[in-house]
Amino acid sequence: MRWVAGIKVSVHGKLLAGYLLVTLLVIGMGAMSLQTISKMSSQSQLLDEAHERVHWSQDIQHALAMQMNFTAMALLLRSETTVENILRENNRFNNTLARLEKAAQPEEVELIQRIRAAQGDAITTVADIANLIRDGKIADAMRLQQEKQYPLYRRIEEFVTQLVLRESNKMDQLRASVAAANRSTLILMAISAVALMLVALLLGFVISWSFILPVQKAHGFVSEVAKGNFTATINVPNRDEFGALAAHMNHMSQELQRLYEVQHRASQELQRLNERLQQASKAKSNFLANMSHELRTPMNAILGFVEMMLDEIYGEVPPQLREPLTDVQTNGKHLLRLINDVLDLSKIEAGRMELVLAEYSVQDVVETIRTSLQSLALEKGLEFVAAVDDDIPLAFGDGKRITQCLMNLVGNALKFSKHGRVALAVEQQGKTLLYRVSDTGIGIPKDELENIFGEFQQVDTAITREFSGTGLGLNITKKFVEMHGGRIWVESELGVGSTFFFTIPLRVETSEVT
Amino acid sequence: MSGKTVLYVEDNEFNLKMVRQLLARTAYRLIEATDGELGVATALREIPDLILMDIQLPKLSGLDATRRLRADPKTVAIPIIVITSFALSGDDQKAKDAGATAYMAKPYSPRELLQMIRKLLPEQ
Repeated sequence: MRWVAGIKVSVHGKLLAGYLLVTLLVIGMGAMSLQTISKMSSQSQLLDEAHERVHWSQDIQHALAMQMNFTAMALLLRSETTVENILRENNRFNNTLARLEKAAQPEEVELIQRIRAAQGDAITTVADIANLIRDGKIADAMRLQQEKQYPLYRRIEEFVTQLVLRESNKMDQLRASVAAANRSTLILMAISAVALMLVALLLGFVISWSFILPVQKAHGFVSEVAKGNFTATINVPNRDEFGALAAHMNHMSQELQRLYEVQHRASQELQRLNERLQQASKAKSNFLANMSHELRTPMNAILGFVEMMLDEIYGEVPPQLREPLTDVQTNGKHLLRLINDVLDLSKIEAGRMELVLAEYSVQDVVETIRTSLQSLALEKGLEFVAAVDDDIPLAFGDGKRITQCLMNLVGNALKFSKHGRVALAVEQQGKTLLYRVSDTGIGIPKDELENIFGEFQQVDTAITREFSGTGLGLNITKKFVEMHGGRIWVESELGVGSTFFFTIPLRVETSEVT
Repeated sequence: MSGKTVLYVEDNEFNLKMVRQLLARTAYRLIEATDGELGVATALREIPDLILMDIQLPKLSGLDATRRLRADPKTVAIPIIVITSFALSGDDQKAKDAGATAYMAKPYSPRELLQMIRKLLPEQ
């Protein structure tokens, strides 16, 4: 099988060669049978010839008997007329003998010549007898017949009998050899038929297995590869199409292994990078926590000392110092808001910002906003209305962050309105709370509406200076709203005012918090 | 001096100075410690009437120091005000969990701090 598989011939060629070999063997068997048949027919022809020669010999004997018969008749009738009959029979004898001689086997030729010689003597004797009968010497004729012709005929008969015997022997031999040939042909045919069958079976077995084995190996190989073992190889002795297929399969698994290794290395690299990023992120988060406190400590001293000075703990403050001290306080507070916003945003960006979920009262939140910002509204001469339904039940979420969002929105509204009113309203819509903060401020241009929630997006840097915002409030507000699973949007008309809306689930599902 | 004792644990000298000056005109007596371990040791030695504890301190954090003081029978009942970094970051909850009586976000207003001290520990 391995040898057959290893032959460098295509599958097509191997199958053709196999069929051709079997066909050639069948033809060979046919030729052998033909040869046997022709041999047998030539032997039966020999048999026929021998048979014919026996027939001729019998003719000769018959002719001889007739000669004897006619000689006796001539003697009885004392007439030589029947001698003509003897001559006719003699001619028949000679003709037949001539044919016999022609067809005779070499070893018979001598016997035939002796028969002819004896016949020659016999005819001479017949002539003598005829002469004696014509002369009336019957007694002499009878004596001659008895003494000479009869023994001659007896001799001839003996020779012919010998001839017949020889032919009979020969015929027996031929018959035996034909029978033997028949038997051996039969045996030969049977053996070659069996041999042919075996050869055909062997060829079929060997050729088919030389195909099946690589297919089985390919099956095993493919299932190994399918299991993810790309180091699997397939090894077949075939140098035909199957061999080429196996070589391609090995190439394929090598390529798969190579790709797997490349991908594996890449994923390891990614994992390492990811670990480093996580470490970096953790370091950043720790840094932020520390930084938050580190920044607040000096701010605490600055704002604290200024407040104590303004509270006249150190004694009376000269009137001309009160304004610069208040400026220091205002800018210190602004710087603190900036620090808070930047830290918040950094934490959100680092994914380290977590909501502190608890029950909270929406009414309390609104009240906090109202009390905190009422004075600012009064200062600017603005009307500030905060409306909330008393029916709204306790909500669940991060109340402090929601307060921070409203501080940003209402703070902005108050900041950007020079006159008119600012309104905060909260209503419950099923399982959602809708917050609305409207103002009669400067408004937002249409092309800025989309970007208004981005980082450091104030409509105009001049406005930033005038209204002293951090530019981060809306971005942080949007992120806190979205962390709660809510949505924020704005409607605005330039010079008329803006209304900010945001929705928050009444009860935040823990899984919704991102 | 019969004034009530307030311990301020804080590592920043300006904040210490500020509270020192804030309490100078009151009847409270201020004692100071500049790290968490010193804070715990001072509290156990002096048994003050009120403790101001900064949340971030060298050697031992304000939260850990608070937990230690709460674990000791001598200091378990002393009011402790923890000065947190930022009220919104969840520090207040951590302070409460550690056993703080109250918390105050940094930067605090000296005026409000004094109000809170007076509320927890009447001056007279």
